[in-house]
Amino acid sequence: MFPFINTNPLQKISQNLRHDLLDMVYKNGGHIGGSLSSIDLITTVYFGNLFNLKKDHFILSAGHLAPALYTVLANAGYFDKKLLDTYSNFTSILQGHISTEVPGVNYSSGALGQGLSFSCGLALGDPKHTTICLTSDGEHQEGQIWESLLFAKKYKLGNLINIVDFNQFQIDGSVSEIMPLDNLAAKYIQFGWTVTTVDGHNFNQIISALKKAVETRHGAYPVCIIAKTTVGKGISFMENNFKYHDVKKLSESLYNQAKSEL
Amino acid sequence: MINSIRQSFGDTLTKLAKNNKNIFVVNADLKSSLFLNDFAKKFPRRFIECGVAENNAAAVAAGLAQTGKTVFLTSFACFSPAINWNTIKQSICYNNSNVKIIGSHAGLMSTDLGATHQMLEDLALMRSLPNMEVFSPLDALETEKIIKTISFSKKPAYIRLVRPSTQNLFDPKFDFTIGKSHILQSGKDITIIGHGPILEEAFQVQAKLNLDNKYKKISLEIINCSSIKPLDTFTILKSVKKTGHLICLEDHQKNGGLGEAVASLILTNNFSCKFIHLAVDNSFGRSAKTYQELYNYYGIGVNDLLSAVTSLLVKERSGLSGKRILK
Repeated sequence: MFPFINTNPLQKISQNLRHDLLDMVYKNGGHIGGSLSSIDLITTVYFGNLFNLKKDHFILSAGHLAPALYTVLANAGYFDKKLLDTYSNFTSILQGHISTEVPGVNYSSGALGQGLSFSCGLALGDPKHTTICLTSDGEHQEGQIWESLLFAKKYKLGNLINIVDFNQFQIDGSVSEIMPLDNLAAKYIQFGWTVTTVDGHNFNQIISALKKAVETRHGAYPVCIIAKTTVGKGISFMENNFKYHDVKKLSESLYNQAKSEL
Repeated sequence: MINSIRQSFGDTLTKLAKNNKNIFVVNADLKSSLFLNDFAKKFPRRFIECGVAENNAAAVAAGLAQTGKTVFLTSFACFSPAINWNTIKQSICYNNSNVKIIGSHAGLMSTDLGATHQMLEDLALMRSLPNMEVFSPLDALETEKIIKTISFSKKPAYIRLVRPSTQNLFDPKFDFTIGKSHILQSGKDITIIGHGPILEEAFQVQAKLNLDNKYKKISLEIINCSSIKPLDTFTILKSVKKTGHLICLEDHQKNGGLGEAVASLILTNNFSCKFIHLAVDNSFGRSAKTYQELYNYYGIGVNDLLSAVTSLLVKERSGLSGKRILK
């Protein structure tokens, strides 16, 4: 295996996005841990030239990952980047959890487990285009996720892709400790989905999995991409530390350390 | 003449779907109960069966609506909106999706099914949600008119249906308009406001009054408040200003029901009147073979309404009346 660093142009984009994300959360707080684990995935969806997001749909089911999506949308030109400084302020359109008030956002979310069902409805109603949903691993503790897995299989939603940000942490600790998902891939297979597991920080792997999913979109099987990621990715003291699920206030020294590490 | 509200819903929707290709049904395993067999047979690709999974169904409906469809989400009220309230809040209301939630078997009218199925809290759940409109049809004919009207609207809506066949009360000359109430009978002494087939009791009470020498000059103003949200402020206030007495009658919990909405409306408008709210008072339902047995047990039967009417009249005569405080 070649080291993936600098082998893909998306790497550079995502590095810049991490800076924006950190600045945003330093100013106003926010769910940074999962945002850092998922941002490479969202970056690939928006900048990987795989989708036409005027027609294809991206649904962020894990609405607390708003900082990651807002950062991506601002850099993709959906709204003025300066707005990122106003995140979750009273006068800002950038709501704490993802909201359709923000240009480019297709679905308001915050309560977990609903976005995949919503994506099923979209995929069913718009069979000519691809619907990409991003869920978190902890979110799979919600029963509704499993209702939607049954549904997507029954209705043969080959144009539906669910990317799971599998970072193994949730707000109170590790997923395996709080409510283990055990072999998630096996469960998806059992539910009749096509499953690929990738390194969620390796752009070549993410692109290749998404490409394959797009190629099979006229088929009968919805696709799940389990992206193994690291919570807090890129900032050493945040990595694999569930205390950084949500940051209220980051000290100046930690901010400077984080900046230098990025 | 009696007719089925549920059948009216199923038949109307099937008729509408013939000309409106955007109408979809997202169902949670209650197709037969909602008279949708014909819809499913005629439009199999527009009939989406989710099984017993009301949360998924609600968000699937919202996702479908985002692709330009008018989606009817069909189940019993005790499951939808009861089980899937947060999905309705987030995926349907906050996302402002064109989803019409059909909650059947509402109220004590689901009789023998008992407490778990007698949904007495649906209006409380749905009234509280921003963007949501709430309707409770009087009879089969009004059900048809409501379903037709809302099929042209893009907003989320909740429509409360009941299980048994019920008396026809709606005047065919009327049209249903969102936010409008209908005065079914004009009167001068007491306003009786309610929603759904229970309003038939008001006519029975009027008939009883007519036969009584002491009360035969008493006339009730009977208002069909099928548009629970938005409320018809004008009609309600005008009537209460005229009569000075108000009884709200409903097959629902007092908490969160129409009575609270109307009471709040009256106080907010600096008005006061003598008010009795006849509704289920902080209790669960129970099984019975007829809803009349249950209505009597829970204090919302014909005799309860008659007692409420006469108690207001007696107080009026003995000087204890709630005459208008502010005009």
